[in-house]
Amino acid sequence: MSNRTVSRVLQAPAVILLLIWMIVPLSMTLFFSFIRYVLSSLNRPEWTTPSISNWRGFGNYEFVLNSKDFVFAIQNSLLIVGSILFLTVTFGVLIAVLINKAFPGRGIVRVLLISPFFVMPAVNAVLWINMILDPVLGLQGLAVDGLNGLIAGMKDLPVIGWFFSQWPTLEPISFRATQTSAYAVIVMVTWQWTPFAVLIFMTSLQSEDQQQKEAAILDGAGAWSQFRFLTLPHLGRPIAIVVMIQAIFHLSLYAEIEIVSRGNGNKNLPYLIGEFANNNIGAASATGIFAVILANIIAIFLLRMVGKTLMD
Amino acid sequence: MAIVAQETKLGTFGRPVLAWGIGLLFFFPIFWLVLTSFKTDADAVKPEFLFTFAPTLENYLNMTENYDYWRFAINSVITSVFATAFALFVGIPSAYAMAFNPSRRTKDVLMWMLSTKMLPAAAVLYPMTFLTKNFLGIYDTHFLLILVLCLINLPIVIWMLFTYFKEIPKEIIEAGQMDGVNTWGEIKEILIPLAWGGIASTALLCFIFCWNEAYWTVRLTTTEAATLSKLIEGNRAPEGLFFGRLSAVSTAAVGPIVILGWFCQKQLVQGLTFGAVK
Repeated sequence: MSNRTVSRVLQAPAVILLLIWMIVPLSMTLFFSFIRYVLSSLNRPEWTTPSISNWRGFGNYEFVLNSKDFVFAIQNSLLIVGSILFLTVTFGVLIAVLINKAFPGRGIVRVLLISPFFVMPAVNAVLWINMILDPVLGLQGLAVDGLNGLIAGMKDLPVIGWFFSQWPTLEPISFRATQTSAYAVIVMVTWQWTPFAVLIFMTSLQSEDQQQKEAAILDGAGAWSQFRFLTLPHLGRPIAIVVMIQAIFHLSLYAEIEIVSRGNGNKNLPYLIGEFANNNIGAASATGIFAVILANIIAIFLLRMVGKTLMD
Repeated sequence: MAIVAQETKLGTFGRPVLAWGIGLLFFFPIFWLVLTSFKTDADAVKPEFLFTFAPTLENYLNMTENYDYWRFAINSVITSVFATAFALFVGIPSAYAMAFNPSRRTKDVLMWMLSTKMLPAAAVLYPMTFLTKNFLGIYDTHFLLILVLCLINLPIVIWMLFTYFKEIPKEIIEAGQMDGVNTWGEIKEILIPLAWGGIASTALLCFIFCWNEAYWTVRLTTTEAATLSKLIEGNRAPEGLFFGRLSAVSTAAVGPIVILGWFCQKQLVQGLTFGAVK
């Protein structure tokens, strides 16, 4: 056997497996998205079997585009993903710059910082929504109670008591309502993914050109202009990569939404697909195709960036 | 002589204080989870027992009774271990061929593999349910989860192995070829011993991703193959009644993985950015 044949044979299992994984389910989704297909229907039992005779053309796409849920899910997906990206990148850069220089206990701080990333999403959601954010029994509820108690105590003080008696009683926020649960998801995912951004930016900062920095210091550049004109441009590429990788992960956010928002109206694309899939497979599939298109737009940019460094 | 940036007084004191503060802040929720796991369900919601309480192991001792923890934990172990092993078994030969025998198309193959990772899982949810439930009859089996977990991590595994293998000088492999060792022998006798560290970190990272996976493990299982993600997801709304026991089972589910994760921070960067950040 020639080298080439051996090489092909060695790659074959991985390529074939991934090819099946990619083509079979996706082409089924594509097919279902063009037919009328529901899991149960009293009036039209023929729609319950996937068949070409139930062809609907772009009807499912129209149905999905016109549904309020879809518009809401897209907006919400973008709100959630956009906020998480902004927060993780901002915190990530600041924290990475902060811990890039040596200080006592840096190794331990790194370990503390990275830990949230390894917490499974289901535990992350349960932990935050119950033990931390719950308005009555969570830390939030306890903190608000404590503050209210403190303010009430201050009212009895002479002179400044009057000032505190004007304060309204603080109300805890429930994070289980439609809109606030999206905020809860943003908080918990930001907590989990900021460490990832920090780790990547730190790795990148270690390769920053120190001589350039020294030259800048000699020229009298302050800390801010060093950061603005040297560090930030150096981090441009890693920032782009962090943004794209996270965008792909967070567009398919599921466990957190399921745990925090089930039944309260808050949803993103994957959650909406799951809802449609309880009966209307045609609509679920059309929504799925939209999700694929959205992910592809981001993926193209990411693949280009990664591809450039591939063979050096 | 290198000119080290002079830190101001604020910098020398402020930096460690701020850094430690942020580190502790990020770790606090995990600390809180562990702390709560040693409180009784009743104590866990009382403000007077925030930090001072009579610690108890009861939540851990009753984990089996309350949640059937071990059944889910064993499922997590089985599916993650076998998915990782299978991914390595398929991935090592493939990455080996691409690293030491690259063709014009190798780059495209690698990029294409990576692109499969970007397929949103939800888009193929129903076909997967349909195929595995009605057609193949493997819904809610270990086999299915192992297969799916392997497939979703295979691109990352191949990618990481490829970057590790590329660092091995080609001459060493070629020397083996001249000695008349066959391909399987080359992989077993030369490649695996040389790239042992890289293979181990790839395996570790793959295992962590399998363990934490929370879409397919929730949607493709009901009882038989349900993993820890499914267990926690199923107990999501205790309304404050069971904070203690829920914390204990959560701690047991994430503890080992968080500790494993501490050992593969560096590999994480490489594995998740596909070698694009160095």
